[in-house]
Amino acid sequence: MLKDITLGQFFPGNSAVHRMDPRVKLMLMVVYIALVFLVKGFLGYAILAAFIAGTAFLSRIKPKFLLRSVKPVLFIVVMTFVLNIFFYRGEELLFQWWIIRVYKEGIRFAVFMALRLVFLLVGTSLLTLTTSPMALTDALERLLKPLNAIRFPVHEMAMMMTIALRFIPTLLEETDKIIKAQTARGADFDTGNLLQRAKAMVPLLVPLFVSAFRRADELAMAMEARCYHGGTNRTRMKQLHVTGIDYAGIAVVAVTTGLVLLERLL
Amino acid sequence: MPVEARELTHTYNADSPFESTALDKVNFKIQDGEFIGIIGHTGSGKSTLIQHLNGLLKPTGGTVIVNGMDLADKSTNMKEVRRTIGLVFQYPEYQLFEETVEKDIAFGPKNLGLDEKKIAARVRDAMRLVDLDYAQFANKSPFELSGGQKRRVAIAGVLAMEPDILILDEPTAGLDPYGRDYILSLVENWHKLGRTILMVSHSMDDVARFADRIFVMNHGRLEMQGTPDEVFDQEERLRAMGLDVPAVTTLAGELSRRGFDLPRHIHTMDEMERALLSLLGGKEHA
Ligand SMILES: Nc1ncnc2c1ncn2[C@@H]1O[C@H](COP(=O)(O)OP(=O)(O)OP(=O)(O)O)[C@@H](O)[C@H]1O
Ligand SMILES: [Mg+2]
Repeated sequence: MLKDITLGQFFPGNSAVHRMDPRVKLMLMVVYIALVFLVKGFLGYAILAAFIAGTAFLSRIKPKFLLRSVKPVLFIVVMTFVLNIFFYRGEELLFQWWIIRVYKEGIRFAVFMALRLVFLLVGTSLLTLTTSPMALTDALERLLKPLNAIRFPVHEMAMMMTIALRFIPTLLEETDKIIKAQTARGADFDTGNLLQRAKAMVPLLVPLFVSAFRRADELAMAMEARCYHGGTNRTRMKQLHVTGIDYAGIAVVAVTTGLVLLERLL
Repeated sequence: MPVEARELTHTYNADSPFESTALDKVNFKIQDGEFIGIIGHTGSGKSTLIQHLNGLLKPTGGTVIVNGMDLADKSTNMKEVRRTIGLVFQYPEYQLFEETVEKDIAFGPKNLGLDEKKIAARVRDAMRLVDLDYAQFANKSPFELSGGQKRRVAIAGVLAMEPDILILDEPTAGLDPYGRDYILSLVENWHKLGRTILMVSHSMDDVARFADRIFVMNHGRLEMQGTPDEVFDQEERLRAMGLDVPAVTTLAGELSRRGFDLPRHIHTMDEMERALLSLLGGKEHA
C-alpha cells in the first residue's frame, strides 16, 4: 500500500559511491545543483547526463529505480513543460491558433525547464539511494557545526532529524498493520464521499497516535536510562574520513564543472 | 466453509533489492469444524499465510478459495469474505480506538450493516464470551484497561462479527499464565460451537492440546501437515527446523529411556496423566 515511495529511500550497497564520505557527497551535491542551473544548452545537459550516468553505473543502482523517483512528480514536470510552451513569448512564431501562440524559443525554454527538474530529481535521488539517512544527518550535523557559534542547536536538530527518519519506516509499518486490522473488522477506507472517508480515518489515526506517543515515551526513557544529555562532550562511534574515493569524486565533479563553465562561455 | 490454498505464493517487494519470498507454493485444504494449529520459526511465513485467508494480502502466485470464493479474483465480494472469516492479529489491543468498550466492539458488526438492536445484542454476547461484565466495562474507555483486558476487548470485537472461521495470530503472546489459559479456553469454547479455528502459536504444548491438525511452516514452505501424533513423532525433523515437541513428550521420552513402559504418542498433559495412572496400577484419583 505504502511501498511506492522511493524519494529518500536508501538502497544498501558497497560500491565506490556508497563508500564515499557523506559530507563530501553532500557538498558535491550542492555543486551539482548549481551546475544544473548554470547549464546553458543541450551540450551542457549532455555533460551532466554523462556525469549522472557514470555515477549511477558506479553505484550499481538500476536505472529503473533512479527513474522511479521522477514518477510521483511527473505531473509537475509535464505541467511545467506545457505551461512554458504556451506562455513563453519569443520572436520566432511557429504556430498560432486562437489565443495560443507557440514560439521556437518557448519550446526550447520548456524543454530546458523540464530537463532541469528531471536532473534535479535524479541527482538528489542518486544521493539518497546511496547514502543512508543516518549518514546524511550525520554529515549535515558536521557541516553545520560552525552554527553552534551563534547558539543554533545543531546537535539537537540533527538528533531530532535522525529520530524522525528512524521512525518513518516503523510508522509506515504500523500504519499498514492497523489498516489491515481494521479492514479485517470490515472497515472501508477507499469508498464513500469526502466526509465518509474522513470519518473512516478515525479508526486508523487514533491507534496510530496512541502508539506514536507510546513509542516516543519509551524512546525518551531508554535514552535517559543510557545517560543521554545532549551533544556536549559526546564522542562518536563512527568517525568519518575523507579517503581516496572522495578525492576521485571531487576531481570528477571539478572536471564536470569545468566543462559546464566552458560550455556556458562558448 | 472449506478453505483451500493452491500453490499459494507471496513475494514481498518483488523486483527490488528487498525482494523476499515469504510463501512458497503452499497447498492445503481445511474442512468445517477443524482446529488447525500453525507452528514455525520466526519469519517462516505464518502471519503472511493467514493474511491471505481473508484477502488482506493478495497472492503473487496461486490462489486461495474460501467457500467457493476465489480470493485472487478481483470481483469477489470482500465484505462477504470478511464476514465469513474473522482475523485476530498479533497484539490486537493496538487496534482499539473508540471512546468506550461497547462502541469499539460494535465497530465490526456496524461495518457489516446490522441494525442497532442486533448490534447491541452481539456486543453483549461477545462481552459475555470474553468474560467482561457488561455493566462494569461497557462504558469504560478501552485505554483505561489492563493489557489482558484490552486484548479481550479486541478479541470480542472480532467475535461480535460471528465469523464461521476464526483465525488467531499468537493470541496468548505477552500474557500471564492466567490470561493465557483464559484466552485458550475461550478459543476452545468457540470451537465447540462447531466453528473452524486456525491458531498460530509458538507453544507446542498449546498446539498439541487443542489442534486436530498441525501445519508446520519452514522458510515459507508448508513443510509438514498432520495430526499432533504424526507431527510430534518426528522430533528430529522439528528440531532441525528450530522447533520443539511438547514438554510432556520430552518427559515421556526420558522416562521410556529409563525403562518405564509408556505408550507412544504422549503429547498432552491428559495423555500423560492417563499413561502414568495405568502404569501405577490404574488407581484413579479424584
Ligand atoms: N510487510 C512486509 N514487507 C516485507 N517483508 C515482509 C513483510 N512482512 C513480512 N515480511 C517478511 O516475510 C517473511 C515472513 O514473515 P511473517 O511475518 O509471515 O513470519 P511469521 O512466521 O509470522 O514470524 P513470527 O513468528 O516472528 O511472527 C519474513 O522473512 C519477513 O521478513
Ligand atoms: Mg507473525
